[in-house]
Amino acid sequence: MTAADPPALHCRGIRVTYGEVTALADLDIAFARGAIHAVVGQNGAGKTTFARVAAGLVRPDAGSLAIDGRALRLGRVAGARAAGVELVHQSFALPPSFTVAEALEFGAGGGIGVYSRRRLLKRCRERLAALDLDVDPRRRIRDLPVEVQQGVEIARALVTDARLLILDEPTAVLPPAGIEALFERIRSLKRHGVTVILILHKIREVMAVADTISVLRGGRLVAGPIPRERADEASVAEMIVGQAAVGPVSADDTQALVGAAPVRGVATHRVPVAASPEAGETVLQLADVNTAKDPEEPPLDRVSLLVRPGEVVGVAGVQGNSQRTLVKAIAGLADVTGGDIYLNGRRASRTSAANRRALGLRVIPFERNSEGLSLTSALWENWSVRELLQQPLFSFVDPAALRRRCDEALETWGVRYASATQNAGALSGGNAQKVILAREIDDDARLIIAAQPARGLDIGATAFVWSALREAAGRGCGVLLISSDLDELFDVSHRLVVMLSGRIVAEFVPPYDIAAVGRAMTGAST
Amino acid sequence: MTEFHEFMVAILRSGTPLVYVTMAGVIAQRAGVWHLGLEGVMIIGACATILGIVLTGSFPAAIAIACLLCVAASVLLWFVIEKLGANPIIAGLGLTGLGIGGTALAVQAIFGSLAAVTAPFGVPRLGAAFGPYGALSIFVLMMPFVVWGMWVLLRRTRFGLRLAAAGEHPLAARSVGTSPANARLIALAAGGVLCAIGGAELAAGGLTIFAQNMTAGRGFMSFAAVIFGAAHPVGAAFAALFFSLVGVAGIRLQLLFGASIPHDVLLSLPYMATILGVWISGRMRGGAKAATEASELRDY
Repeated sequence: MTAADPPALHCRGIRVTYGEVTALADLDIAFARGAIHAVVGQNGAGKTTFARVAAGLVRPDAGSLAIDGRALRLGRVAGARAAGVELVHQSFALPPSFTVAEALEFGAGGGIGVYSRRRLLKRCRERLAALDLDVDPRRRIRDLPVEVQQGVEIARALVTDARLLILDEPTAVLPPAGIEALFERIRSLKRHGVTVILILHKIREVMAVADTISVLRGGRLVAGPIPRERADEASVAEMIVGQAAVGPVSADDTQALVGAAPVRGVATHRVPVAASPEAGETVLQLADVNTAKDPEEPPLDRVSLLVRPGEVVGVAGVQGNSQRTLVKAIAGLADVTGGDIYLNGRRASRTSAANRRALGLRVIPFERNSEGLSLTSALWENWSVRELLQQPLFSFVDPAALRRRCDEALETWGVRYASATQNAGALSGGNAQKVILAREIDDDARLIIAAQPARGLDIGATAFVWSALREAAGRGCGVLLISSDLDELFDVSHRLVVMLSGRIVAEFVPPYDIAAVGRAMTGAST
Repeated sequence: MTEFHEFMVAILRSGTPLVYVTMAGVIAQRAGVWHLGLEGVMIIGACATILGIVLTGSFPAAIAIACLLCVAASVLLWFVIEKLGANPIIAGLGLTGLGIGGTALAVQAIFGSLAAVTAPFGVPRLGAAFGPYGALSIFVLMMPFVVWGMWVLLRRTRFGLRLAAAGEHPLAARSVGTSPANARLIALAAGGVLCAIGGAELAAGGLTIFAQNMTAGRGFMSFAAVIFGAAHPVGAAFAALFFSLVGVAGIRLQLLFGASIPHDVLLSLPYMATILGVWISGRMRGGAKAATEASELRDY
């Protein structure tokens, strides 16, 4: 870029507030044309808000935006698109019932736009071919694997000849091989003159693809855009976290969070998948468990799994490979059609969910806000569910005493809250997760299932969750940790199994080989 | 042969109002509104048409008034849902109550009694050139074209895709610059016109009379046709015609069997067919789980 070239995107003094939360505080940043720019930061740093402002989805309270030197009307998607700005969302924004062809068409051009099926398919095939995307345009979005959905959404964004493409955390949903393919696609877009802004949170990925790096923290630009040659992993990691925050977080956790660590070890030890039931005490044993057909995920297919006391077993896998069904089967919420489940050494295949809880099973569910908590109920109500479940149906409830005990528990767990009577919906993600931990991790817990326990949490809360799980394991609990974040799994688990289409396809012990785990996750032959 | 023609005339006469109102339900459904106010908007259309003819003496003026009032009622529903944040289903049921009660009140206020109002003439007829079908109204002839037009609009235009995106995945619609709220406004307002025509056909397509609560659940039957037809214009139109076929067949059976079958049972046939239809459509789409979603459009 010469000095005379106006930047592809120039933000001046952008401020966005949601209620009392400041998402972006006077952000000033300019991105040069024709390069791949990475924007990194922790959760809550304002990355997604920045992307949405640039795409016109969020109207900032103050500031201005210019594309190629021309001012843009704020908060207007149509205006941003006309200027060539397109956003690919983290969890894609394509209607699941649409076919690929319809998904490419619905965003194209204005007007009523009458089409015939034949012409639509032809046009769609041309667009897909131009992007080197191999997918039948008649298939429905909901039937496609995530990598392909992402490819289709990128194609959707390019239908209008976008010149500035923003991708919000595009790697979060992809298996390792998919990430490399995505980066190749992005490099090819750059060759075609498209400016790309990548919102990422792993430094390893940034270093692999970006030309410049910008760091956001607390809604402000900490540094950048720094050319990649002049950035090193350690200093970027420090900028992301901020020196003040590093304190309580172990160096190991920091590395896992930013992904800056080099591949940990290369030696792999593949061990037989199912251990024999005689191998000592177990808190969880699945023996050839099958589940009934389910429209959402493939059913479990002869899943065998052991968790011993004091052990953290990680479950890796690309989202949608029946991890949810696995949790439901263990919790007693799925239709188990074959095999046996033993909890704490007792056969529990036909035991109700409530009685499994009495056997020491605790679940930290996938969806904090819909499965984990009732957001419209008070904190003490959310917390005391565990006690009420154990009591007879018509037993006396003493709200004052429950509130008192809830207060004690929440204080022990360091939850920041105003009163036990406030609604759970008022808590931040980290605090909400702590309430769930406070409820689930008690002295009687024998097996804790933690499903994506750190998703969406910032670095401090993430470290807290991990140390709580480690501590529970230290007291003799078994922990089953389900995650799609390999760094999290590598950091916390003693042992790792990989799920693919309802089956456990591989098992690993430290030191983990990321390449081998990645191959197992995608079903590539080893 | 005349028997067959009579049968067809009866189905078209009772089915056409349902089809129009069903189209209103289809467009609302695709835009993401479960339109349970169809009954209310339809009866407003029926009442306004008859009163309009009586008061102005002109059919075009009457249908224009009906369209205006039905669009206004639909926009009211939109306002309550989008701007006041009401639950669409509760708001729709409220609108139905408003329509049924409001039309009765209007008749009472204007004529001083709750008796049925008769108009001197109704919707223009097709005329002798159509042989045995000559007594049907022009809206019957228009109906297949409207259904076809809806199919093109919803399934073969970018506009239709955006409308469906607004209903199924509002963020997707917003990402391409379509406001989901505006899409729903357009869908509901267009539905208002369709309900006006459906109501006019019901009240002034055969007999020319308006009586209290004369829609008698037809709006809800139309909604069931939307679900039965998976919000597809053609499928839903056939579902609506099927419901009216059952109704007509019921009346025929009544003539045939006389008093041996209680007449309430026969009159309830279309409603039973409706329940059966919704149940079947639920089964076809994969049992109880899918049935709660009711169509391929998700209630986000």
